[in-house]
Amino acid sequence: MMKNSITLLLMFLMAISLSNCSEPALDDYGDVRFELTDQNGETVIFPDDFEGSPVVMGFIYTHCPDICSFITANVGNVYKELDNPSDVQFVLVTFDPERDTPEVLKNYAAAFDMDREPFQFLTGSADVIDQFMQRVSVRTQESFSRDLENGDRAYFLNHSDKVLLIDQNSKLIFDYGGSMTPVSIIIEDLEKLRS
Amino acid sequence: MKNPLYLLVFCALIISSCTGQSDRTDESALITGEGIHIEGTWARPATEGRMSATYFLITNFEDEPDTLIGVQSDVAQLVEIHESYQMEGDMMGMREVPQLEIPAQSTVRLQQGGLHVMLIQLTRTLSDGDTFELTLNFANSEDITIEIPARL
Repeated sequence: MMKNSITLLLMFLMAISLSNCSEPALDDYGDVRFELTDQNGETVIFPDDFEGSPVVMGFIYTHCPDICSFITANVGNVYKELDNPSDVQFVLVTFDPERDTPEVLKNYAAAFDMDREPFQFLTGSADVIDQFMQRVSVRTQESFSRDLENGDRAYFLNHSDKVLLIDQNSKLIFDYGGSMTPVSIIIEDLEKLRS
Repeated sequence: MKNPLYLLVFCALIISSCTGQSDRTDESALITGEGIHIEGTWARPATEGRMSATYFLITNFEDEPDTLIGVQSDVAQLVEIHESYQMEGDMMGMREVPQLEIPAQSTVRLQQGGLHVMLIQLTRTLSDGDTFELTLNFANSEDITIEIPARL
């Protein structure tokens, strides 16, 4: 009886091991739960609501004029150049929730012609976004600011330049330089997950 | 019968020669241009009150270096020359570039992820296809005003 149990346990562990052989995970987000809000004001739970199909995820803030628009356009270009992208989710998460409300994200998405399926632009409470960014290893720090004529203060952030590829089981498979990585490389890796 | 044929070939050679001369003249003009030349202009679409950036190539045909000392446009509350750069690890930073030297007989490229003109707090929405004017001030050359299209 004991011997049979050990054999079954070994077979089970071997099966798990073999199932992970195809793409070794860099992280597994299965143990977390973040409540976020999309550009339409709808609540979204990460990773639960994303399980079942791969996710291409970038990190941005909308006051960023150069690198973040590059990252956003790259995510959009993966969608454009992908053959039949209906089984892939495209997500951009802000690390500046104070200014990036759902409405701001919606306008930002529209400027890139991405305020539509299958693109999601996510924000959340400052605490949740802070915890989320820690978990996905996205770092930020204020760089400089400008006082505007209308009395507002515009501040800018140094930040990680990152796009993640997460598989259908909430496992982090690849971590790219968001603005630097050619779209073709992300597509090549994505196709491995879809095949 | 041979004479008209020779005449035809002669005329064809003359026409061909003239066309070639014209192409070479244009090419020569490009290489030996004068002053400062701007090309490849574009800007990222964005909504009023937000940020954008514009990119282009600056070529200095002169034998002396020149310096871009200012940029102005009514499309944003603040218009500044900036540079994105890689910090340690995966961090990207951005810093102001107060003046930008354009070496003699050289082209400086303002492009995504590097040098760019930052448009802070747009005074109007820039949609795909919209245009706006940007004036560039140089230390040694006349001001240049260019029209910049917004595109995705």
